[in-house]
Amino acid sequence: MYPELKKLGVDVLSVSTDSKFSHKIWDETELEKMVEGGIPFPMLSDQGGQIGTLYGVYDEDSGTELRGRFIMDPDGVIQATEVLTPPVGRNTDELLRQVQAFQLVRESGWKEATPSGWTPGEPTLKPSPSMVGKVWEVWKP
Amino acid sequence: MPEARVGKEAPDFKSAAYIRGKGFKEVKLSDYRGKWLVLCFYPGDFTFV
Repeated sequence: MYPELKKLGVDVLSVSTDSKFSHKIWDETELEKMVEGGIPFPMLSDQGGQIGTLYGVYDEDSGTELRGRFIMDPDGVIQATEVLTPPVGRNTDELLRQVQAFQLVRESGWKEATPSGWTPGEPTLKPSPSMVGKVWEVWKP
Repeated sequence: MPEARVGKEAPDFKSAAYIRGKGFKEVKLSDYRGKWLVLCFYPGDFTFV
């Protein structure tokens, strides 16, 4: 997934409550067997959960963090988030779709919008008073 | 109280980090201003992400 994000000009940071030493050992002993060249982005250590608390994803009972994912635009604004409890992993296709949609909308100066289920290449909507009641003409899910 | 909200500026932070090939560094969220960024939390090393 990382190469696709890199192509879109997106940086990645991962965060857990593990130490930076643990990150290094995990990367060197296990992850590099799963990802060629190991993990290409910074792995942050949030011991104590301060960052997770700031982002609403720190669970005090277990002392660990939920699967929280935040997309931030170049202005530093959070545009999307998804938070899962630990047993279910994420869907990176949906992450890529959301990044592409937000990039397109931002490029348009926030004038265009992408309807539900939009994928790259499909028409976007240009909300305006004249469109009220006529969305059906341009978008048929 | 959590401060992060969709549509609002992301709360800044700094953190110790491991970066492959570079070792241990401090990372600040504000270093990524001007770029798209995905921030991913996960429960722990040696589990799946």
